Amino acid sequence: MQTLLSPSARGSARGNRTRLRQRTLGAACVAVCGSAWGFTATLSPASPQTIYLQVGVGSATGDYINGGQMERDTTVNTVSVTVAASALGTGAAQAMTTNSTAVVSYWDGYTYCSVPGQVYIGGFFRTTGATTSPAQVTATVPAALTDITGDSLPFSKITWTSSGNGDTGTEIFPGGTFVNGGTQSVGTMSSNTWNESCWTFSLVNNSMLAAGSYSGTVVYTMTAP
Amino acid sequence: MKSQRRCGCSNFFLACAFTIFLGGAAAAKTIILDDSGTQALDPAVALHWKSVAPGRSGNSNLMLGTATFRVRIDVAPWLKRNARIYLVLPAQQPGPLSVSWTSQGKLLPGQLQSGNRTLVYSGAISGPFLEDQLTFEFDVDGALVKRAFPVNFQFVMDE
Repeated sequence: MQTLLSPSARGSARGNRTRLRQRTLGAACVAVCGSAWGFTATLSPASPQTIYLQVGVGSATGDYINGGQMERDTTVNTVSVTVAASALGTGAAQAMTTNSTAVVSYWDGYTYCSVPGQVYIGGFFRTTGATTSPAQVTATVPAALTDITGDSLPFSKITWTSSGNGDTGTEIFPGGTFVNGGTQSVGTMSSNTWNESCWTFSLVNNSMLAAGSYSGTVVYTMTAP
Repeated sequence: MKSQRRCGCSNFFLACAFTIFLGGAAAAKTIILDDSGTQALDPAVALHWKSVAPGRSGNSNLMLGTATFRVRIDVAPWLKRNARIYLVLPAQQPGPLSVSWTSQGKLLPGQLQSGNRTLVYSGAISGPFLEDQLTFEFDVDGALVKRAFPVNFQFVMDE
C-alpha cells in the first residue's frame, strides 16, 4: 500500500500512465484497507477521584471559580449555649452559637451562612464515569455530653435545622437530632456536584439538669463509593 | 397546449439540474493518507479535571489532557500538485470529545469535534512528506471516562 502511493515515474507518457494506474489502485486499496493508517492517542484519567468535606471552618487559597484550591484544615469548632437557671427546663429551645467563622462558600465566595448562629457544612466528591451512588456523610456521636463530675446530658437533646442564604427546596444536609451514641447519616453528596448547607443547632430544654459544663465531640466522616 | 409546453420545459430544466448535481457528488473521492511515519512523543495522555471542584449544578465535568505528535504524512503521489488535507476525528467511543491543537507552522492549527474534520493544509505539495509537530489538547466529559481509551485520527485528502 505504501508502495502504491510512493512517488511515480514522471516526464514520460508511460510514466503518466503508470501514475494514473497507481493512483487508481491506491484509491481502491484505501477503500479496503485505509483504516490501517491514522494515529492514536490513549487518554486515561490521571486523578479521577477527589473528595472534600468541610464542617465549620475550612481553608482555601481562594474561591474555586477563581482558581483557588482547597487546603487541609484541622480546626475543631465548638457549638455552645449557656442556659440561665431561670430558663432551665421551660421547654423553650435554647439557640446554640458557634465559634466557627465560616460564612462564605469556597466555591464562589458567596456569603452563605450567618455566624455565630450557623455552622457551614459542604463538600464534593469527584469521580469519572457515569453518576455513581452518592457519597455518605455520617456523624459519630458519643452517648452523652458529660461534665467533670460525671453528670451527663443525652446527645439527643441537641437538634439542628438546615438552611442557607438564598436556598430553596430540600437541603442537601437536612435538619435532624443527634442519636445517643452511634453513627448516623447527616446527608449525601451526589457525584460531581458541590453540596452545602448551614446548620443551626439548639438545645431541647425540657428537663432539669445539674449545674455544670457539659461537652462532647461529634466527628463527621465522608465516605465515597 | 401552451401551458403544457411550458410545463414540459420546466421539467426538462429540473431534470438537467438534478443530473448535474449527482454527477458532481459522485466525482468527489476522499483518500486516507499514509501517516505511518507519525510518532507520539507522549502516547499516554493523562486526563485531569479542568476544575478540581465541581459546580453546584454539576455542570463542570470537563477533563483536559495534552499530547504531542511528530506528524509525517506521505504526500509523494501528489508532488507538484495543489492539495487540501484535512485532519479527521471520527466519531468513536466512549462518546463526543473536542480537540484543539497548535502546530509549528507547516500545518494549520485548529480545533475539531469528533465526527468532523478540519483543514490543516492547503497549497502546493513541494516534497514527498509533510512534517510538523502538533500539540493536541483534549476536552472530554468526565462522565464518559471510566478507564483508558484510544482516540484515533486520520489525515485525508479530497481528490
